[in-house]
Amino acid sequence: MKTNKSIRLAAAALGLMLAVSACGGAGQDDDAGGGKEGAPGNTAGFDGKTIKLGVLTPLSGPVAVIGKPLTSGNEVWFEALNAKGGIGGKYKVELVEEDSQYKTDVTVQKYNKVKSDVVAFAQVLGTPSTLAVLPQLRTDKILAAPASLDAFWVREENLLPVGGPYQVQAINAVDYYLTDGGGSKDDVICTMIQDDVYGEAGQQGIDFAAEKYGFSVANTQKFKQGTENYAGQIGALAGAKCQMVFLVATPSDAAKIWGTAAQARYAPQWFGQSPSYTGALAQSAIAPYMQQSVLIVAEGTEWGDESVPGMKQMVSDQGKYAAEEKPDYYFAFGYNQARAMTAVLEKAVENGDLSRDGVLKAATEIGTVSFDGLTGDYKYGPAEERNPPRASTIFKVDPAKPFGLAKVKYLLESDAAKEFEFKKADL
Amino acid sequence: MAAKPHRNLVRSYAQDLRLFGSPTKRAGLAATLIVLLLLPTVVQDDFWLSVLIYSGITAIGAIGLNLLTGYSGQISLGHAFFIGAGAYCAARVGGDLGLPLPLWLLASAAVGAVLGGLIGPFALRLRGHYLAIVTLGLIFVGEHLWRNLTSLTGGNNGTSVLAQPRIGPLDLGALEIAGENYSRNQGWFWLVWALVALVALLAKNLARTRPGRALCAVRDHDQAAEVIGVRAGRYKIGAFMVSSAIASMAGALFGAYQQHVSPDDWTLLLSIQYIAIIIVGGLGTIFGSILGAVFVGALPALIDEYSSVIPGVATDAGGEGFISVFALNQAIFGLLIVLFLVFEPRGLAGIWFRVRAYFKAWPFSY
Repeated sequence: MKTNKSIRLAAAALGLMLAVSACGGAGQDDDAGGGKEGAPGNTAGFDGKTIKLGVLTPLSGPVAVIGKPLTSGNEVWFEALNAKGGIGGKYKVELVEEDSQYKTDVTVQKYNKVKSDVVAFAQVLGTPSTLAVLPQLRTDKILAAPASLDAFWVREENLLPVGGPYQVQAINAVDYYLTDGGGSKDDVICTMIQDDVYGEAGQQGIDFAAEKYGFSVANTQKFKQGTENYAGQIGALAGAKCQMVFLVATPSDAAKIWGTAAQARYAPQWFGQSPSYTGALAQSAIAPYMQQSVLIVAEGTEWGDESVPGMKQMVSDQGKYAAEEKPDYYFAFGYNQARAMTAVLEKAVENGDLSRDGVLKAATEIGTVSFDGLTGDYKYGPAEERNPPRASTIFKVDPAKPFGLAKVKYLLESDAAKEFEFKKADL
Repeated sequence: MAAKPHRNLVRSYAQDLRLFGSPTKRAGLAATLIVLLLLPTVVQDDFWLSVLIYSGITAIGAIGLNLLTGYSGQISLGHAFFIGAGAYCAARVGGDLGLPLPLWLLASAAVGAVLGGLIGPFALRLRGHYLAIVTLGLIFVGEHLWRNLTSLTGGNNGTSVLAQPRIGPLDLGALEIAGENYSRNQGWFWLVWALVALVALLAKNLARTRPGRALCAVRDHDQAAEVIGVRAGRYKIGAFMVSSAIASMAGALFGAYQQHVSPDDWTLLLSIQYIAIIIVGGLGTIFGSILGAVFVGALPALIDEYSSVIPGVATDAGGEGFISVFALNQAIFGLLIVLFLVFEPRGLAGIWFRVRAYFKAWPFSY
């Protein structure tokens, strides 16, 4: 009798479910395009007036120090663009910002939250977060701009990267060291890398350079992000008599590493990959050591450099729309990212198709986008033909400068960096 | 006609053990099932569905941890290790070999059980804080393995998990019933919550029968348990195996739903989050594990949705306001957890039991 009852119950539940579910499916519904050139039809994220773009970025938690200025860079670019009329002179751009907390599961949830309200994603911050949403970007046919300089993105048609990947920075750093930097290939060249995918990217660049310039990497020290004590690694590098050390780290670790080296009176020529540095380091106690021994390899030019038209424009836009924002490397990154996305949207509007397919198609048609000297020009096109910029800028630490960095060699484009091939990663 | 005994009167041990003994409980079960079946057709929003899917996956993992920590008193900080192992197993067995859902899910459970069986013996010699430290070590050993066993885990880049939610002709990723198409999130919601129900039922059955009583005896005093004839060692290892098998299943589902996992997903933070879930939900209750997972999983999303209407809160980076939505979200969430621990140490399940007891004796509740 008991089983009878539960069977009846189950049957009733199933019946009810089928009755309601007749209208409960949420499978794909095709957007009808219906637009003409210069006047795209309404679609997800576009109501005929405003183009909405998603932003998935850590606005809380430890990585918010990167997420906030970067997003501010996105905002300032689009606000300046809207003031001029917007995309195609008539469509304003609006950002839909969501806090990803730099966690993959939260990023996927937030992606699901906004994906049906946006035309594309202007920013997805971080390698793990980008990898986590990539499978869904592919099935949903959405374009996203990753805020990360990993090389994987170059050959992914759903992603719109900007800037020279980490490998390029590392190769250019070696090139600078061996030429203007006064080093030779017989020097003891070492690396100190974070034990994750970001560290591997830098190491890959150094290994490639080693092959091209004919030296071997004498010593490699790996560390976990957030390590408390670096005396062991510094001791090992000093013991191996490393004369040049390429560091791949994030600012809080880099500060401890350089602090430890300064205490140990060990002063090789350090090169720091761009995310190793932040403006606060130039105001800290290790600034004198950094001025003497550290060079940073990054992109673009120093903050407020009037000789570069892109920088002049950016500083003026920032003064107008986000005056309280401090000079920051990540601000410029967000600004550049927004410029690349704007190029895609302009093309899509010109084609009269802002649908997801239309945006992806536009991304393959935009050709080379110039960043007015803020970063090297990027040749877009079909994913397999893209060519990222091969130029990096070498900076020295100078506390008197707005972001604490003064350019030493602007847009250095080594032959070895030009030869580096970007392959489609098996993700 | 003889008067029937009141429905609350329990006259035998078997009656006491019934899972859904009273008409109200049966009605509650039916209502829950109907809600779970209908919810995705009413709430079609991908955001809320994905929040609930992650919560469901977390609930499965939390049931596993509660069996180990809540029922048998073995503290483990290594839960994230088993969850990771399950995800990688799903990637290889479900993705590369292309086996159907039941197989990759069971394979992950088997891998978890074996790994748990290897760790279990440590619990024979260690107790309390010492066991916590040993299982903490597991997290770091695991992290080293995940980063370096590149053929299995993809190394630091992580790996795609292409395990498909397919059972025979039924593909839950793209469900079609009677001509109606269902989205991936709808299909996954049904899959995950059906599994939550199944795992909860299995765990409850384990907990209310001899092994469950043996586990409680071990928890309360393992030497005393030995004296009354419980083989404490066997049950400790068994608890580890069952718990990590369930954790691995949760990991397999996590991986297959997210489709990409990397070593950064299985850190100590994840283990601590699970411990927070079972404490907030209620130690030593299956129901509490589910409540805790939904609470911890869905509350931040809820606060996120509604905190933007509070004045003085900045809704975008660098906007006006003294605190950002996101900072406020974290603050409220942290505060709620503290308040719970102070005022309701038995967790959400404790509140539920009190409410239930009140209505059971109604109108003579005091």
